[in-house]
Amino acid sequence: MTSAPAKETLSNDKLSRVEGVSTPSSFFHQTGISLKSKYFHSILADFPEIGFFEIHAENYLSKGGPARHYLQQIREHYAFTVHGVGLSIGGEMPLDKQHLNRVAQLVNEIKPEVFSEHLAWSTHNNVFLNDLLPVAYDQTTLNRVCEHIDQLQSTLQRRVLIENPSTYFEFTRSDRSEIDFICEMTKRTGCGLLLDVNNVEVSCFNQKTDPYDYLNAFPVHAVGQIHLAGHTLDQNAIIPLKIDSHDEAVCHDVWDLYQHTLMHVGDCPTLIERDGNLPPIAELLTEAHYADEIRAKVRESRHEYTA
Amino acid sequence: MNTQLKAALFSQDNGFYKEIRANSAIEKEARINVYRNNIFVSLMDALADIFPVTQALVGEDFFRAMAREYILLHQPQSPVISEYGDTFSDFIHHFEPAQSLPFLGGLAKLEHSLLQLTNEQEYNTLEREQIAAAFENASDPAQLILALPPSSKVCTCPFAIGSIYQAHQSDATHKLRDIKTTNSEHLLLAKSHIYAKLYIISQNEAIFINNLLQGKVLGEAVPDNDNFDLGASLAKLIDWKLLIQVSEPSI
Repeated sequence: MTSAPAKETLSNDKLSRVEGVSTPSSFFHQTGISLKSKYFHSILADFPEIGFFEIHAENYLSKGGPARHYLQQIREHYAFTVHGVGLSIGGEMPLDKQHLNRVAQLVNEIKPEVFSEHLAWSTHNNVFLNDLLPVAYDQTTLNRVCEHIDQLQSTLQRRVLIENPSTYFEFTRSDRSEIDFICEMTKRTGCGLLLDVNNVEVSCFNQKTDPYDYLNAFPVHAVGQIHLAGHTLDQNAIIPLKIDSHDEAVCHDVWDLYQHTLMHVGDCPTLIERDGNLPPIAELLTEAHYADEIRAKVRESRHEYTA
Repeated sequence: MNTQLKAALFSQDNGFYKEIRANSAIEKEARINVYRNNIFVSLMDALADIFPVTQALVGEDFFRAMAREYILLHQPQSPVISEYGDTFSDFIHHFEPAQSLPFLGGLAKLEHSLLQLTNEQEYNTLEREQIAAAFENASDPAQLILALPPSSKVCTCPFAIGSIYQAHQSDATHKLRDIKTTNSEHLLLAKSHIYAKLYIISQNEAIFINNLLQGKVLGEAVPDNDNFDLGASLAKLIDWKLLIQVSEPSI
C-alpha cells in the first residue's frame, strides 16, 4: 500500500461524534452478525461473544410479539445496528412518512451504533416489491436521492450510512459512474457509506468490471461499516450473473476483496450478513471470528507501516 | 421510469428493454429476469411463512402456483412484509383450482389473523390468586367486569377450521383424518404473553366471551341457557391467562 494514513482512531472518533456514541463499543472492534429469529433462544442461553447484532428495521416495527420481545432482551446485552430495507430512498415518489416515522421510533428506542439504508428503490405508487431495485445514475436521480437522504437524516436526527447496491443491469440513461454518483451523494448530504464488499463483487462481475478498481476508487473516508455476505451464480444460459442471495457463506473471492478493502480503508466495523438458508449460529460466529483475524492482521501491518 | 420498470417486472413486456444497457435483447431479458425472479420468489416465501398450514394442506407446488397468481394481482401495500396477504383468503375463495377444499380460504384468514394478533401489543394478565381476591372482595360478584385483551376476537366458522389448524401444530392432540371438516366451529383468538392462540369454544362460551368483550357485567354476560357452566368457562379463561382486569363498574 502506498498511502496508508494512520486514521483508524480518527475515523472512529468522527463516527462517535456523529452517531452520538459516547463510549467505545464492541461494535468498533469486533465483527457482528445478522440477528434472525431462529437464533433468539440460543443467544439468550449461550450469550456468544460477538461485536454486535444487526436487524432489519422492517422486521421489528410491530407493537408486540416475539420479535420485539426477544429484541428487547438481547439489546440489554449487545450493541446493535439497524438496517432499513423498505424506505425506498431511490424511489420516484415521496418517502412514506408513516413508515419513516415507525422506523424513527424504532431507532429512538434501540439507539443503534448505525442506521443504514440502500441506494435502491422498493416502493412505487404505494406498492412494495420486497426487492432492492436499481436506480439510474443521472442528475435527476441524484437530486431525488439526496432529498430523500436529507429527509431521512433530519427525521432520525443522525447521520445515516447508505449502501452501495448489487445490480444486474445498468441503465442506458446513466451519464456517470456509480462511484461518481455515490461521491456526489456523500458530498451533498453528508451521509456516510456502508460498503458492501459482496455487492462490489456481484455488481462488478455482472457489469464485467474489476472489483479492485471499484474499491480503489470508492470514497473510503465516508465508510462507517462493511457488509460481507455470500452470493450464488445464476443458471441462465445467456450470460453468467452473480446473485446477491445472502444464503451462503462468504466466498473466498470476497474475503480477498475484504482484506484489500481494509488495507485501503483502515480497520472498520464489519457485519457477516446472512438472510437465508440459515446455518447453526456457530457457523456465523466462525465467519465473524475469521473477519476479526483479518482485521487484526491488517491493523498490525498498517501499524508497522506507519511506525 | 419506475412505472415502466415495475410494469415490466410483472409481465414479459419488452417495452422497457431500451433502458437496459446490454449487447442483445436476450441478454437484457436475462438481466431483468433476475429482478422478476427475486420479487416472485421473495413474495412466495413471505406468503409461505405467513400461511404455513395453508401450504401444508395443499402441498408446496400447489401453494406456490397459487401464490404466484395472487402476487400478480395483489402486491404488498406496506414494507412490513408480515402484514402481507390480508386479501389472500378472499383470493383463495375464488381460486378455481382450490374449490375442492372449501375451507381453505377460511383457514388462510385464520392464519393471517393469528399472526397480526401475535404482533399486537401485550397485556399483563392476572394470576389465579388475583382473580380469586377480586371475587372475594366484591360486594356483588354479578356486578364485576371481567376484561380480556381488547384485541381478542370471537368468530363462527362454517367449517372445522380451528380443528384443522390445531391438527397441524406440534402439540396436536388429534389427527387431520379424524376431523369432520363440514362441522361449524366457534373460535376465540386471543393473546396471552407474546403469542396469539386459538381456542375452540362452545356456542354458549362464544356468547359469554362476546358479552365480556362488550364490557357487560358478569351477571349480564352469562347466556340465558341452562347448559352454560359459568364455573367451567371462568376456569378456562383463568387457565388460558386471558383476564387482564377484574373490577367493579365505576359509578
